[in-house]
Amino acid sequence: MAETTYLEAIRQALFEEMDRDPAVVLLGEDVGVYGGAFKVSAGLLERFGWERVIDTPISETGIVGAAVGMGYAGLRPVVEMQFIDFIACCFNQITNVAAKSHYLWGAPVPVVLRGPCGGGVHGGPFHSANPEMYFVHTPGLKVVCPATAYDAKGLLKSAIRDNNPVLFFEHKFLYRRIKEDLPEGDFAVPIGKAVVRRQGRDLTILSYAAMLYTSLEAAAQLEKEGIRAEVIDLRTLLPLDRDTILASVARTNKLLVVHEDTRTGGIAGEIAALVTESAFEDLDGPIRRVTSLDTPVPYAESLENYFLPNVAKVVAAARELAHY
Amino acid sequence: MSVDVIMPQMGESIFEGTITKWLKKPGDRIERDEPLFEISTDKVDAEIPAPSAGVLKEIKVAEGQTVPIQTVVAVIDTAGASAAVPAAVPAPSPAPPSTRPSAQPSTPASTQEKAAAPPAPVPSPAAPPPPQVSALTSGASPAAPAVRGNGQKIRSSPLVRRMAKEHNLNLAGIEGSGAGGRISKKDILAAMQTKPAAAAPASAAPFATPSVTPAAGPRPALPAGGGALVHPVLENAVPRERMYFGNYEAHPMTAMRQRIAEHMVASKHVSPHVYSIDEADMTRIAKIRASSKSAFETKYGTKLTFMPFFVRACVEGLRAFPTVNASVDGTTVVLHGDINVGIAVALDWGLIVPVLKNAEEKNFLGLARGINDVAERARAKKLKPEEVQEGTFSITNPGVYGGLMGLPVINQPNVAILGIGAIQKRAMVIDDAISIRSMVYLTLSYDHRVVDGAVAHQFVGKVKSYLESWNEEIL
Amino acid sequence: MALTLTREQHLELYYFLRLNRELEDQMARLFRQNKILGGLYSSRGQEAVSVGTAYALGPGDWIAPMIRNIGALLVRGFKPRDVLTQHMARFTSPTQGKDGTSHFGDLKVRHVVSPTSVLGDLIPVMTGIAMAGRYLGQNVVAMTWIGDGGTSTGAFHEGLNLAAAQKAALVLIVENNQWAYSTPVARQVPLRDLAGRARAYGIESAIVDGNDVIAVERAARKAVAQARAGQGPVLIEAKTMRMMGHAQHDSAEYVPKEMLALWKQRDPLDRFEKFLTRNRLWDAKTKKEIVARIASEIRADVEYAENSPFPPAELAAQGVYCEGCHTVEADWKRPKQEVMPPRSNVKPEWRIRASGETKAPRHSVHGVHSVKGDQAGAKPKSQGKSLRSRPSAKAER
Repeated sequence: MAETTYLEAIRQALFEEMDRDPAVVLLGEDVGVYGGAFKVSAGLLERFGWERVIDTPISETGIVGAAVGMGYAGLRPVVEMQFIDFIACCFNQITNVAAKSHYLWGAPVPVVLRGPCGGGVHGGPFHSANPEMYFVHTPGLKVVCPATAYDAKGLLKSAIRDNNPVLFFEHKFLYRRIKEDLPEGDFAVPIGKAVVRRQGRDLTILSYAAMLYTSLEAAAQLEKEGIRAEVIDLRTLLPLDRDTILASVARTNKLLVVHEDTRTGGIAGEIAALVTESAFEDLDGPIRRVTSLDTPVPYAESLENYFLPNVAKVVAAARELAHY
Repeated sequence: MSVDVIMPQMGESIFEGTITKWLKKPGDRIERDEPLFEISTDKVDAEIPAPSAGVLKEIKVAEGQTVPIQTVVAVIDTAGASAAVPAAVPAPSPAPPSTRPSAQPSTPASTQEKAAAPPAPVPSPAAPPPPQVSALTSGASPAAPAVRGNGQKIRSSPLVRRMAKEHNLNLAGIEGSGAGGRISKKDILAAMQTKPAAAAPASAAPFATPSVTPAAGPRPALPAGGGALVHPVLENAVPRERMYFGNYEAHPMTAMRQRIAEHMVASKHVSPHVYSIDEADMTRIAKIRASSKSAFETKYGTKLTFMPFFVRACVEGLRAFPTVNASVDGTTVVLHGDINVGIAVALDWGLIVPVLKNAEEKNFLGLARGINDVAERARAKKLKPEEVQEGTFSITNPGVYGGLMGLPVINQPNVAILGIGAIQKRAMVIDDAISIRSMVYLTLSYDHRVVDGAVAHQFVGKVKSYLESWNEEIL
Repeated sequence: MALTLTREQHLELYYFLRLNRELEDQMARLFRQNKILGGLYSSRGQEAVSVGTAYALGPGDWIAPMIRNIGALLVRGFKPRDVLTQHMARFTSPTQGKDGTSHFGDLKVRHVVSPTSVLGDLIPVMTGIAMAGRYLGQNVVAMTWIGDGGTSTGAFHEGLNLAAAQKAALVLIVENNQWAYSTPVARQVPLRDLAGRARAYGIESAIVDGNDVIAVERAARKAVAQARAGQGPVLIEAKTMRMMGHAQHDSAEYVPKEMLALWKQRDPLDRFEKFLTRNRLWDAKTKKEIVARIASEIRADVEYAENSPFPPAELAAQGVYCEGCHTVEADWKRPKQEVMPPRSNVKPEWRIRASGETKAPRHSVHGVHSVKGDQAGAKPKSQGKSLRSRPSAKAER
């Protein structure tokens, strides 16, 4: 199979799922005729028609609310947020309606909310956000952050087939940079399972989305110094794959968490709590974080570069930890 | 009445000792100062005499076990044999931890019950009592003492504390290689290698090298533990992966070897070494020695070697140049009033530097006796701890093994060490004539922080001239 | 006005109105006995809105009630015991004690979406249900309620706008009870009639006397028919009055006495009883039977609720995710092939009819306003009626 981009992998998942199940519909701003702001849904309208690929008003609360209603009626809607930054507009629909529905009254919400997140593309403070943790804090949601084309496709399929509201964060930096050979045929990647991307024994670097690549690059550099970092791709932030995390920490005894999300309240804090609670006696050093700064995402290249984690920052933190 | 037998502090920097042999068993009658057990520490191996007469009532620390200094290792009943009810001897290691009595009592109370003695004041477990307190019981678990013998806080990690507990290792005895001397996983893995008796393989499994190592090919897996690094200064110069290839055996360093390694690296790290080389004509001394040797040995009952000559010459040199007989404490130079000469003694299992105290007060015979005495006792592991301490200057003698010269590493906290090469007949030019002389290379390694070249060369020159113009009677 | 309902239907309406009233009176007593914890919100005076609107719906239709729409729940088939156990946090309640008040629903049979406490939330949700219903060929209508205060929320706007743009079969009842908690409607909305909101969305609207159950029922029935016919959403403003405080804790002293006195004259039960008598739809015996039936039902259900267990504590940790415990299944009333390739294939381009006007268009200023527009997207093809183009394809801007 030809090399498939991360973006194309998402598109393929949408095509294949809509082909497979007429209950799958797509709605969002400019998803139809235009094919989506990033062209993720290009060609879907042509194939599946106006009833299944729905261009909506600029109305995130309206869109998500409607998707929840469609889910109640037995459909499996996929909602595109044009930029994930705008998900804040429909926060209430997600956290109060969708997330609580099954717990409170047994009404599943088989809805996928997907959209481009992340910085490193000079999109500025309203087109670069990583708002995943607002939702990781919300019981009832699932939060998925794929890093590879394979995972993007496989996890989106799982998300669409899931009976729960799944927030699917697509890192826009990866959209066209990541290319992989994908296997033919239908495959799904389970939600809630992390994966070891690189094996090592000196420390564990936990990461996800674009920061996976930063972490892998750092690990390659660290190996030249004799430090073998195990790199884990979380893939799903909620529910968190405790087993994989704890097993890795049991092997390496040191943990560095790298995420592009800002520092305070990032998943690193939660993971640090998890590990100290569950595996304190496996720790041979403090749990360290490399994250973005606690600021909005700035626009200028120099500012954004300073704001974001990078290989050098990860290497420095890992080195310090390895020698701790 | 019971008297506790304590693991002695065999040097300022020593905080633990390993019991290598018990010379008595419970129930045995012992006299005061009679050898009771043998220990091995980082600095010395020694025979420890009984602190009082009586009956050995209980042995608390088995052979092969390492415990912090000041630990009660045995109890002597001074009342006599009638009162003695021998307790079980702890199983010699390796023994499963569950069946093995704790190196220290789990609680002070249980000790008192066993001792059947009036309760003694129990020191706080968290703060070990000062060394001068002889009868003491530390309530701290041997696995995780909060402080070292020298009162330093032990820095480790949750993992290390768990491993220490599981493997019955004493953290106080493990040097940390982590930041700030923290004991890390690799340190405790190294300690487990050096103390295989204490290691429990089954429970050690979680810490083993992951079998998933990507580079693992046909070659054997690297030994766990990163090459037994124990001290922060002992870093690998290259990744350890590059050290294991072909056929190899990996031998953990002994404690002494580790200590030497640490000491040498630290010395090189701290002291900027400069070397002065000179040679001395030993012809005159060689003749004196040759002619007096048998008479000397007959008369005084001790061997006549070249070493007392060199020591004597050094004393003269040190008197003339006191900055060579010094230590450096940061920006303070400590000029020693005593001349305590450390003499390196090669052992089959390492190296030790016993110290001949107040060499400046001794005549030739006294020097000769003293040197021979400490050297013999070093080889017999009978040095007392104070006999390896408080050196102010050192001499090493690579010439014994034929070395023409050597450039030694300063023995801290000295600032200089003299290397003596092999005494060898060479053709020398004297008064424009070639003459056959017994020559020796003298090499002085000195700490350029406080000793400058001019002083060093004058010092060596003084030693040289004293040797060449030797005029002391030795018989 | 000629009667549009049968005698039985009239009596049924009365039954629900009275049941609504009696049940809430009973709950007020239970609240004072500390048997109901948390909030208890009264719909006294507003029963005709809940009952009359819900009564206009067909069995496949959907509702999402608000806090004061217990009457609508009863009409949709929930029993007093459901309401009672729910308020009393019993394990036997529809949410097993996980939520209180009227926050419960039923996706499969009664088609009731559970409300949340966040006002306006369910307007977009019900829009989505209407959209899904059209997509699935179900020909259903979705109805929900919003208070006067709730019409100021963003969700109200977004939901109604989306429904209008989609011509979704949504009937929105604006239940204007004059008070948003303690703030009068005039301080919330600068409109005399909340129905005026509809004009902004280009949708039909109506104003009805919310204390006249017959008028309410008729207006709702008409709106439901319009929506079902694919004419887009309809907004009905039902003017009524909240006769109690916001909840049990609120004595509502901010409400002028004369206002309460005026609306007491318009009590929907009294009025409907007079209507029934006037139209000879019942007699004293019938009334007595209905009242007795209600009393007996409530008595039995209170007993049931009081004897019901509280939920086991560990239930708190369960049910966050659906892990196969519920099936998600659409009830297809049209051939799936219609929405699958190749029949679903379209040409992805807009058809723009008007390229841009500069003159202000004329439109009506008052009252109910009808938009003459495309019937676009009202119904799936299988219903065969007037659907010649796809919804979004004919958008006019």
